[in-house]
Amino acid sequence: MATSASTLRWLAACGSVVLAAAVRAEPLQSVLAPAGPQAAHLKDLWDVMLLVCTGVFVAVLVAVGIALWRAPRADSSQRASLPQELGPQRGARRSVLSAVVASTLLLLFLIVASVFTDRALARLSLHDALHIEVTANQWWWEARYDDAQASRMFNTANELHIPTGRPVVLTLRSNDVIHSFWVPALHGKKDLIPGRTSTLRLQADQAGTYRGQCAEFCGYQHTTMALLVMAEPPAQYEAWADHQRATAALSQEPQAARGRHIFMTTTCVMCHSIQGTDASARRGPDLTHVAQRQTLAAGALPNTPENLERWIRNPQHIKPGANMPPSDLPTDDLKALVAYLGSLQ
Amino acid sequence: MSSRCLRLWPAFAAAALLCLPACEREKRQFDSPSPPPTPASAPMMRATPLQPGNAQLGASSVPTAHMPSTDYRYENNAFAVSQGKRLYRWYNCSSCHAPGGGGDWGPALSDDQWVYGSSPANIFASIAEGRPAGMPSFAAHISEDQTWQLVAYVRSLSGQLPKDVAPGRSDTMSGREPEAGRDRERPKPMEKSDGNKR
Amino acid sequence: MAADADDGEWPMAPKNHASTRFSALTQIDRSNVANLRLAFTFDTGLRRGQEAAPIVAEGTMFIASPFPNTLFALDLTRPGAPLKWKFEPNPKLAAQGVACCDVVTRGAAYSQGRVFINTLGGQTVAVDAKTGTELWRQQLGDSSKGETITMAPLVVKDKVLVGNAGSELGVRGWLTALDTASGRVIWRAHSTGPDAEVLIGPNFKPFYQQDVGKDLGVTTWPPEAWKIGGGTAWGWISYDPALDLIYYGTANPAPWNAEQRQGDNKWTAGIFARNPDSGEARWFYQYAPNDRHDYNGTNENVLLDLQIEGRQRSVIVHPDRNGYVYVLDRATGEVVSADPFVKVTTTLGIDRLTGRPRMNPQVDPRNGEVVREVCPASPGGKDWQPSAWSPRTQLLYMPHQNLCQDMTAYTASYISGTPFLGSEVRMYAGPGGHRGVFGAWDPVKRRMAWAIPERFPVWSGALATAGDVVFYGTMEGWFKAVDARSGQLLWQFKTSSGIVGQPISYRGPDGKQYVAVLSGVGGWAGAVVSKDLDVRDRTAAKGFASAMADLPQYTGKGGSLYVFALP
Repeated sequence: MATSASTLRWLAACGSVVLAAAVRAEPLQSVLAPAGPQAAHLKDLWDVMLLVCTGVFVAVLVAVGIALWRAPRADSSQRASLPQELGPQRGARRSVLSAVVASTLLLLFLIVASVFTDRALARLSLHDALHIEVTANQWWWEARYDDAQASRMFNTANELHIPTGRPVVLTLRSNDVIHSFWVPALHGKKDLIPGRTSTLRLQADQAGTYRGQCAEFCGYQHTTMALLVMAEPPAQYEAWADHQRATAALSQEPQAARGRHIFMTTTCVMCHSIQGTDASARRGPDLTHVAQRQTLAAGALPNTPENLERWIRNPQHIKPGANMPPSDLPTDDLKALVAYLGSLQ
Repeated sequence: MSSRCLRLWPAFAAAALLCLPACEREKRQFDSPSPPPTPASAPMMRATPLQPGNAQLGASSVPTAHMPSTDYRYENNAFAVSQGKRLYRWYNCSSCHAPGGGGDWGPALSDDQWVYGSSPANIFASIAEGRPAGMPSFAAHISEDQTWQLVAYVRSLSGQLPKDVAPGRSDTMSGREPEAGRDRERPKPMEKSDGNKR
Repeated sequence: MAADADDGEWPMAPKNHASTRFSALTQIDRSNVANLRLAFTFDTGLRRGQEAAPIVAEGTMFIASPFPNTLFALDLTRPGAPLKWKFEPNPKLAAQGVACCDVVTRGAAYSQGRVFINTLGGQTVAVDAKTGTELWRQQLGDSSKGETITMAPLVVKDKVLVGNAGSELGVRGWLTALDTASGRVIWRAHSTGPDAEVLIGPNFKPFYQQDVGKDLGVTTWPPEAWKIGGGTAWGWISYDPALDLIYYGTANPAPWNAEQRQGDNKWTAGIFARNPDSGEARWFYQYAPNDRHDYNGTNENVLLDLQIEGRQRSVIVHPDRNGYVYVLDRATGEVVSADPFVKVTTTLGIDRLTGRPRMNPQVDPRNGEVVREVCPASPGGKDWQPSAWSPRTQLLYMPHQNLCQDMTAYTASYISGTPFLGSEVRMYAGPGGHRGVFGAWDPVKRRMAWAIPERFPVWSGALATAGDVVFYGTMEGWFKAVDARSGQLLWQFKTSSGIVGQPISYRGPDGKQYVAVLSGVGGWAGAVVSKDLDVRDRTAAKGFASAMADLPQYTGKGGSLYVFALP
């Protein structure tokens, strides 16, 4: 039947996406490939809704088809006239009634499924949860990893690492306009509203790199506000976190040292922070370990020295409207600055 | 029917003509027009040893600042003024001069007293070169374009800008009516305000 | 503690090491103070806030003035007290830009023929008292990162103690001891950071458990935040020679926005007891852990022996910014009592077991939100303006304010040399509508005996005398004498400008008792006048413009000394 063929094709397409994503090493950004329990619950709900809606859709098509096929046809010689019987047909009344009952029952079923999904989402155990405060800015993500002991907290930007198998509680805030946090492989969307705090609880069960992006129009560069979530085995995560707590590397190499001097005496120090130096401004991403990140400018560019130089020279060519101004440093100074930032592992 | 249309023709034409000004849209200049300084650019003399952000490095390592190579053109650009408002807070200007320009560490920017002059060039020099009595020198720390944006915003604090250009609201707790609602101050001539040394 | 024998001099701003600001002279008393009249005046020529206490020693009066910190010496032995000499330390011009609360200084200090002053540019200078020649000069603060020195130095034994200012710019606080003879730095105790730099060693025995631990000056901060953490020591220092301990408070942590500095933020907003010879800490108590409202701990610590609950106790009486009068045990740092003297909404009380304040989360500022009815406002129930104690009435005379505020927070960037705040404020009068109070507090009965409401914050110091007359000044310019027992107004004199200085009393070379005060409005509360701020912006002067918008109608700038005596 046409219905089962289309469904099968649909399911096959889903499967191929999952398969392809599992095989490729690139970040996964798909609601159809859940990597944690929250996204899995949402995917289950999505599957149920898809099946029900597909079924209803097919049934409606079939009914329309039958109605067209069985409709009485008049000769072209006959004049158009109202049918003799003006009252409702008994057969029609039964069909309509049963369709209404069926629709209601199916909708109720979907509501119940949704409620069950909400319950399942809320049942994520928060034992030993990792707390991260995510603050959205135009157009980048700021993250502060919280700890019971204040001196073990650290800041990073645009790339989150989380341990697998451990719940993560994200506290979501915004510094300017409404943004929305969406990492489809891990959970649904949650708005970050200025002046309010919201919470998102998720967990990654499979290691991997998951891509997310801002899901609420937030200005000129809304489309270039991506983030990466790296889920790692707990031991690997702890090593990463310990490294993040360390102050910035102090390279003695002359070009990097000159780059550090340029950083501290020109525009960079007005907006960025590097732990362990005098730079502690909060308007741009924390750069203490920027060399370790995979992308620059919230996913706009892969993190390479060439791209970094292009970015610093004129961010407006890559992300027009971004709040970082072009630089008028002489080329030598710019190369030294890039060398310094490259040393910030 | 066609005669009725013909009679309304002038009205339609007038309405269309009135709509034409809407085609003019304010340009948002994201890209900075100022070219990198060439060796021929005149160096700028800082008027104070106070500079932001480099306390540990000492005056001997002060980067060279240059005179501006572009002119002030943001007096009527609302986007630039709103960027200036954002930078006013980001670079801690609002802490020294108060969020509404009323003054604190630094003098008031919202009144008619301008110790070093109210023209855009004066304000640019105050920001870039600094001033002896405590205004830090921000040249090389704030780009030329951003400095002009700040100049435009500072002028809006005392109502110098047209009402449709100055910001119409604040995103923070308000201290007084927004810049667009302020009456235009008439800047007094420059003079020493009190007996203390400057 | 036995009161110092009153030799008719005033060698240090608090009068004595116990900080009682009490003069034992009795010539002026309740019966004749109404006859007090102007003896002479002196114009400093400067028009910024005059917060200093005149110092009297060797028949000379020493006046420390606001920037440029000229030190004037008046010859009291000659009629009209003519100028004997003046010393100009020439502080850096740029230091004016990093002084949070007007370019003030709170006085000089005299000891053994030397006069010590601090400059806004971060120097301590020793000057010969007879000739005004410079003896030595020590650069202690770096104004390029926002550091200034505004406090009155204190001489303890052979050391002069100096604390820095600049918590509002992320300056890391310290207290330094210099050798009085050479100016050499003997020790420096920081207010944040590792134990070795805070001079916390094996003799450190805080009373409360939360102050015990290794390197708490680091672990109670986010990483590196203690380096820009504030806790400056710009306020008052007291000294107990019997216990051989100095007591001083540390200022608020930086930035004002507490959301950027999780943790208790030790050792800010508290009181240290230290050995004056080595600087090592003996105990510490924190008035405001993770302070959210700029409640500095720097107010005066009056050292008294009081009969409390049936036994004699050696205590510190300290009216704090957070609106409580604390009575602390001098030897251990235990909180004996803590009672509010103004309306308080920011805390719900002080826990007797842990000594910690119970915070009211409803008035904690949060990013992007405005919280209202924050009481007391950031200048506190009382700011730096020092109280005076009368052993005769057993009352503490407290000049203070009655202010509440609305406040909001935002993420602050630390850019060295610029303010590090993250907060916007609008202040207004507290309950009753009056913005100032001059009150007499009974620390044993733990309540106000009487209180005089004033239109503006009473930003001047207080002076208590053995004639049972208490003096203070208002920001409109009235210098007032009230009955120490009842608070009844006995005499007042309208000076040329608002009074924010500290009144003193001394015996002149002619044997008469004189009362002196500087008149010249300014300081944080008077900045709207002294700095010509625009009061239409309610957030100007860190929110004080909102509460002082009418001050320009009552006073202009000034800078004169007024000295009064009986005819």
